[in-house]
Amino acid sequence: MIPDWMKEVDVGPCQCSAIYHGKKGFVGKTIDGIFGFLEEAFISESNSRRCGLLQSLDPRAKLISILAVIFATSLIGNLRVLIFIYVLTLIFAYLSKIDVGFFIKRVWLFIPVFAGIIALPMIFNIFLPGDPLFQVAYLGPGAHLGPLTLPESIFITRQGLNAAVIFTMRVATCVSAVVLLFITTPQQTLFKSLRTVGVPKLYVLTLEMAYRYIFLLMDLVRELYVAKKARTIRASGMFDEQKWVGGRMGYTLIRSLDMSEKVHMAMMSRGFSGDVHIMQEFKMQNRDYIAGVAAITLSVVLVLISENIIRV
Amino acid sequence: MHIPDGYLGPYTYIAFWIIMFPIWYYAGKRLSAELKSRQVPLLALAAAFTFVIMMFNIPIPGGSTGHAVGGAIIGIVLGPWAAVIAITVALVLQAMVFGDGGITAIAANCFNMAVVIPFVAFYSYHLISNGTVITSRRRVIAAALAGWASLTIAAAVTAFEFGIQPILHHSAEGVPLYMPYSLGVTLPAMILEHAFGFSILEALITAMIFSYIQRTDPSLFYGERSLARENKRKKTAST
Repeated sequence: MIPDWMKEVDVGPCQCSAIYHGKKGFVGKTIDGIFGFLEEAFISESNSRRCGLLQSLDPRAKLISILAVIFATSLIGNLRVLIFIYVLTLIFAYLSKIDVGFFIKRVWLFIPVFAGIIALPMIFNIFLPGDPLFQVAYLGPGAHLGPLTLPESIFITRQGLNAAVIFTMRVATCVSAVVLLFITTPQQTLFKSLRTVGVPKLYVLTLEMAYRYIFLLMDLVRELYVAKKARTIRASGMFDEQKWVGGRMGYTLIRSLDMSEKVHMAMMSRGFSGDVHIMQEFKMQNRDYIAGVAAITLSVVLVLISENIIRV
Repeated sequence: MHIPDGYLGPYTYIAFWIIMFPIWYYAGKRLSAELKSRQVPLLALAAAFTFVIMMFNIPIPGGSTGHAVGGAIIGIVLGPWAAVIAITVALVLQAMVFGDGGITAIAANCFNMAVVIPFVAFYSYHLISNGTVITSRRRVIAAALAGWASLTIAAAVTAFEFGIQPILHHSAEGVPLYMPYSLGVTLPAMILEHAFGFSILEALITAMIFSYIQRTDPSLFYGERSLARENKRKKTAST
């Protein structure tokens, strides 16, 4: 058993960073990337141990509920319904004692912003004809861009803008729901709960082990790069540096396969026969059933509203 | 390459779930028989390595840095079926623990990165190396070409998935509901970007990792062993 004082978690996430003088280069970037990875894992872990609403739910009920919401979101094409679900994830983040500012930043940075950039050209009438909203440029008749014939004037269309906003919002809402799931569930619990959606025991165990060994391998990589930094006075040619990285990757691969043999022997000597047993420590309570049913019902209703089958 | 939720419409991602289930099932069965109790630790560590390989930054011309995908070398070293499971585990971890790649799109992502990459890599590597000794230079070149081909083809498959979205999913007015660009845009964009960029880096890295293992411990090529076993089985079956 783990004593209580070991289960206590500091509320504030720690800041991990390295200090550089001058340009970071590939060595600095790698070390920074690894610190960033560890920081993110720590933040997830510390958030998942707070006593908020979602943290107190049974992980299986939570997994099913959030999967239902994500599935529904992927079907919805109505902007107001998407915004409603997005706001709902923010409210649940707040009720689960997650810093909402941090949550919004975590969700929007990269994936939805990137989706927005991809969708951006869609708002112009070059890609998608539609009702003009406002004009951007007048080119005159017979304008060309390489082989592409351009329309007489370029404007932003209502349909295009609408489609681009819905596309970006749908991506953001899905990411928001997934982040909410993993930020309020300790990883080991999350993996075990995957049994409910039919993932075989063998792969639940493989996932758990892989997650644990990622940290060990990350540390190995960090040490390789720190050692490289420590003995570098002047960088060598690019090809040599690339060769160094290739060699270190090969070394890491050899180490991991070698480690798998040793881990296997250690497991065998402790009685592992290939059969996997997973301790089941979850207990569904009434509120978990209610949460699951509520989430699934809500998802169905929202899809029906979006399809105009139910009118509000 | 990691497709987020909301890029692919329901027809596409559900189709990929249906495609992936038998692949996962067969891979699992095959590995259970081949690896027995070694299966869990070997696949776990290989998945962890697949995850970690993206952390290595590599200097590229122009003073910038890039990183590898690593699916090709996993396919060559472990054999394609073990790579299917190892890369799938890594992709599930990325989607469920770090929000990288969508949940609905897990099956499509697994098809692109855990099936197309290792299979193309493994078979093109064997085709080009043509049974030469394990330490030959030809095999290094084979590994490089396998790295290049596997990533470029995977990018083309991804582009195809994107490009069919406006055909499959659009509103009554003809406005696309998911990925908005047609095949005419997605195919050249993804293929050119990979063929002349990312895939070259992947080729270089695959070759370098390969030649390092070749010099250090060529007995590690699990894929060779499974191929040898298969040939043996075929031989005994024919006699």
